[in-house]
Amino acid sequence: MIPISVRFEPRERLSRWTNVWVPFFAIVLALVIAGIVLAVSGHNPITTYQQIIEAAFTQPGAFTQTLVSTTPLLYTGLAASIAFRMRIWNIGAEGQLYLGSIAAAGVGLYLQNLPAPVVVIAMMAGGAVAGSLWAAIPGALRAYLNTNEILTSLFLNYIADYLMYYLIFDSTSFWRDLTSPAARVFPQGKFLPASGNWPALSIGSVTVPLGLILAIVLAGLLWGMIRGTRYGFEMRVMGDAPRAAKHAGMNIRRKILSIMLLSGAVAGLGGASQVGDFRHVLDPRGLEQAQFGYTGIVVAALARYNPISAVVAALGIGVLTNAGLALQGPNFPIGLTGTMEGILLFCVLGSEIFVRYRLRIGRTSGPVAPRRAEAAPGPARTAAEIASTERRELAS
Amino acid sequence: MRKRSMKRLGAFVAAFTAAGVLAACGSTNAGNTTTTGGSTPAGQWTTSHPFKVAWIYVGAKSDAGWTHQHDLGRQAVQNAFGGRVETLYKENVPEGPQVTTTIDQLVNDGANMIFATSFGFQPYVVAAAKKYPNVIFEQATGTDVGKNLAEYGGAGEDGDYLAGMAAGYATHNGKIGFVAPYAIPEVIREIDSYTMGARLVHPGATVKVVWTNSWFNPAAERQAAQSLVASGVDVLGDGVDDPTVGEVAASAGIKWTGYDSNQNQYAPSAYLTNTIYDWGPYYVRDVRTAMEGTWQSHFYYGNMTDGTITIAPFGSSVSEAAKTAILAKAAEFKKGTFNQFTGPVYKQDGSVGIASGETIPIWNASDPSTLSRYTLSWFSEGVIGSAKG
Repeated sequence: MIPISVRFEPRERLSRWTNVWVPFFAIVLALVIAGIVLAVSGHNPITTYQQIIEAAFTQPGAFTQTLVSTTPLLYTGLAASIAFRMRIWNIGAEGQLYLGSIAAAGVGLYLQNLPAPVVVIAMMAGGAVAGSLWAAIPGALRAYLNTNEILTSLFLNYIADYLMYYLIFDSTSFWRDLTSPAARVFPQGKFLPASGNWPALSIGSVTVPLGLILAIVLAGLLWGMIRGTRYGFEMRVMGDAPRAAKHAGMNIRRKILSIMLLSGAVAGLGGASQVGDFRHVLDPRGLEQAQFGYTGIVVAALARYNPISAVVAALGIGVLTNAGLALQGPNFPIGLTGTMEGILLFCVLGSEIFVRYRLRIGRTSGPVAPRRAEAAPGPARTAAEIASTERRELAS
Repeated sequence: MRKRSMKRLGAFVAAFTAAGVLAACGSTNAGNTTTTGGSTPAGQWTTSHPFKVAWIYVGAKSDAGWTHQHDLGRQAVQNAFGGRVETLYKENVPEGPQVTTTIDQLVNDGANMIFATSFGFQPYVVAAAKKYPNVIFEQATGTDVGKNLAEYGGAGEDGDYLAGMAAGYATHNGKIGFVAPYAIPEVIREIDSYTMGARLVHPGATVKVVWTNSWFNPAAERQAAQSLVASGVDVLGDGVDDPTVGEVAASAGIKWTGYDSNQNQYAPSAYLTNTIYDWGPYYVRDVRTAMEGTWQSHFYYGNMTDGTITIAPFGSSVSEAAKTAILAKAAEFKKGTFNQFTGPVYKQDGSVGIASGETIPIWNASDPSTLSRYTLSWFSEGVIGSAKG
């Protein structure tokens, strides 16, 4: 037997530096591995990477389009991040976004004759409330009946999907267009008049959608809330040390419910932005194909549930999405773009372990060393001890 | 109005399990197979300055159905013009703002002509046609035309009439089941045609419809097909993309008609025939006029006469009598002497849907409220089920 052991040891302290260089090297590693894959499949890696930069940033209009892809992912990424930060596994951003779209389209159509700013704000409010209420269902079930919110929020996505389809395909609902020539051929929603089209900010040749600006502001607010408020502190404690939270007398049920409401509101706003910023219609098929809610989970994971990092992660996935569209074609199979994206995500997410753990390679003279004592809390420890340990870990 | 509903499992998540996809990297692509261009005169385009034509697909070109058939059409264009055209395509493009992204990228890459093959692309294509007046756009199964925007579709229902005849010959008890996607005019006219075909050769036959509300949902299709088998049908038809219904039919020991492309291989023991869309001749024709500078906007509805619609080679269990009758009817479609939507056509409840001697148009753009193939929304006599979904 080779007398060498390879072990992962938890880092005593998590340094900011580690937080930067590990993901950086992960990306470099991913570029190298993807480069090998590209070279083996007969593509020049350098040219390919150049094409990615062009497609995402430098071609005329490319960066504007990247922002279009980024916007919904930031909403669903934030929705997932804040829930996951508290270990509430809201997989339902997809459905909450659908509900936000339904409400925003409904409000926008209903109030269409009011001044545009009123309509826009009402659409936002409608989207947020609808997403929030949809999330309240798994939230309340989890909080009061201890139901598994992963399953309930996931199943509600399908119900929301059916609801959307019902409104456009299987009923003569308020949302459905019954008169236009195109609608006679294939069911579609009523398009919003100009009052419901959200304005956008033009900076040079780049157009920034209002929804993106709102989402970035939201990211800042959520970050501030988690870091600097009592609410955020309780949220972190409940996420990292639920027993401590309980012993400290925090109202866990109310917190679970309120976090789900907040998460759902963010996702619902994302749905409103889809209608107001981009589609101007309730578009069940397009929203279903886009799968923003599920991709948002990837964004949250990349951002390690940090709202500010989510902005970067959403932009990163937006870049990949548009670059993927640009690259694929007769000489570049879609599977290859998927593989490249997969390599990148795998490296970045997989590198997480190096942030939290240190790789220890050394000679061993016997069996693997026992786990560190404090990693295995025994029954002898008091609740206060557990709380203090967990809080120390949290603070580091 | 065709639109795929391929559930994209967030390309990113799926990519984790996509190690096998690497194999695809080695596959050859038609984009490189430059065969000789033949003697076709096609403008000033040369191998060093090729005409660039692009396709935008909503699904994967390997879907064995709708998108696959369009991609065969793209390959036909490549083969017809060789190095003087460069064909591009983008697959799995979701309906939404990313259609704009894709079009921007294609125009940036120098595309001269763009085909969009899903109805849901239309609003974005209409906007792009205004933004890029020098690029020619064609939208499949759409409704809006413009100076540089044409529409095209195909009478799949004519092939369905023939497939219905095959089903009518195959059924013993006169009970046929049909797994249908959306309750929209395109699918309703297919089911009506299928039922008329079946009843032509098997008077009194009925076609029982179950909806799945998706072009592509194998689980729902399996359930729908099984429920139809349980209700006693002895032939199954479908208007969805994948051959799942065929598998159910084969395991139940009954017969089946598929859709879109030749699906014989998926359930040979059950297979009868099905409608095939062949876009090649149309694409070659339109790309040629575009290359020559004579392209004009149009609204096109292909059929058996021009070869856009064909039916697949018969399965082994189709009788000689059935083959003869079906081919005779196919010849009438080709000659243009038969139209199943010429009255009298009776509705499900027995009332007159199309008066005797009257023929409904394909589509009346100037008055969309006119009854046409594009707007027909009722089931014909013999269909069991609701046309409302």
